[in-house]
Amino acid sequence: MQYSTTLNMKKIFLIVSFLICLYSNAQEDLLSGLDSTQVVDKNVTATFKALQIITLQSTKLPAKKEFYMVISHRFGTVKGGISEFFGFDDATTKIGGIYGVTDWLAVSASHHTLLKMNEASLKYRLIRQSDKFPLDIVGYSTIDFNSGLKKDDYPKIEFSDRLTYVNQVLISRKFSDRLSLELVPSYIHKNLYNPAIENDNQFTLGAGGRLKLTKRLSLNLEYGENFNKPDFYNNPLSVGLDIETGGHIFQLIFTNSQSMTESGYLTSAAGDWGKGDFFFGFNLYRVF
Amino acid sequence: MKKIIVLLFLFVGILQVSAQKYATKTGSLKFEATVDAVEEIAAENKNTSAILESSTGDIAVLTLMKGFRFKVALMEEHFNENYVESDKFPKATFKGKVEDFDASKLSATAKAFKISGDLTLHGKTQKVTANAKISKSGDKITVTGNFDIKAQDFDIEIPKLVSNKVSNKIKVSFNLLLAKL
Repeated sequence: MQYSTTLNMKKIFLIVSFLICLYSNAQEDLLSGLDSTQVVDKNVTATFKALQIITLQSTKLPAKKEFYMVISHRFGTVKGGISEFFGFDDATTKIGGIYGVTDWLAVSASHHTLLKMNEASLKYRLIRQSDKFPLDIVGYSTIDFNSGLKKDDYPKIEFSDRLTYVNQVLISRKFSDRLSLELVPSYIHKNLYNPAIENDNQFTLGAGGRLKLTKRLSLNLEYGENFNKPDFYNNPLSVGLDIETGGHIFQLIFTNSQSMTESGYLTSAAGDWGKGDFFFGFNLYRVF
Repeated sequence: MKKIIVLLFLFVGILQVSAQKYATKTGSLKFEATVDAVEEIAAENKNTSAILESSTGDIAVLTLMKGFRFKVALMEEHFNENYVESDKFPKATFKGKVEDFDASKLSATAKAFKISGDLTLHGKTQKVTANAKISKSGDKITVTGNFDIKAQDFDIEIPKLVSNKVSNKIKVSFNLLLAKL
């Protein structure tokens, strides 16, 4: 009896000592107790620096109540050489604004000097890349209003004839800090078209991506395969550089498709890289 | 056997006396790196965790870099992506001691203290000393204060292009309302 009590005492003493040891260890590192208490936002961010990869839209949206002003130029073809100042003399401009209604919905409007186009768009996030889902999926829809068509040339023209619609699904994945890739299936419908040379409904599949060279510089590439295009147009292929400077994002661009509307860019690429026939340009974003 | 039980109670008693921890998960941590008044570069993290061991004055603070909120969303993105590289270095921690701390002398009127220790940020650890004010009312201890750090000490690069907008000297301030655990 005596013996077993002693044994119990020893056991209890051991357990108590053990607990004290545990306790003093815990006291030594107050930080480790804090470590487990916080939850991180698991959404992947900064897949692309700008709202556009080059001319195609990226999966980035403005934040809620954020306003972006965009000014873009595509100069004329560099093929004209020095007599056209490598395209400078035929510069086209886009000016527009994009507003974040909420974190998942943005509206935009822009005017394009090329063909006097006006474009309105909706961009809406469907799903975000996170630790639970591997992709960002964003919908993008535009409606173009061609104000360049003259009543004198087209006496029977109606309002609806001036409209072109584009619906896109933007699917991107940020593979690493440096590499993000995107797929862009598009459906384009033109109310006014020439049936001899093109379809009123066209489908394209685009792909693009960015590779960060440094923290604030990335190399971008994009391409669009048009399954319904006439022979004399090419598929758009563009290469660009993103330069981020605080509140500005500056994109330098070389492309074979001069238009900056989605439909024009995807269906009417007139330049040909193989013949040195391409356009220089830039997008400049300012965030307010 | 009785002795053992007495000893046991004694130990438990010691445990309870020494285990006077005060903590929060919703502390506020702010920093400001504004150069001129034109563009404010500032952010706040309202989910900062902190714990104070009142018997020794040991204090630890932990905050997640992605929890800092800026007025401009793009600033927040650049902060995480380019400056503090939050994916690589998700948290900042501080481990230190309140100098000459005596919990029994705290009152509702804030007293001035110095808190010194190691701040780990962007993978770098540096010694910092904060000027703090500490008050106590009931089971709550409030610790407020501030200190300055230099971005370059933590290998946080500020490009020349924005050096007239983003200051290398960063003012950090904290407000921690700690409740007894």
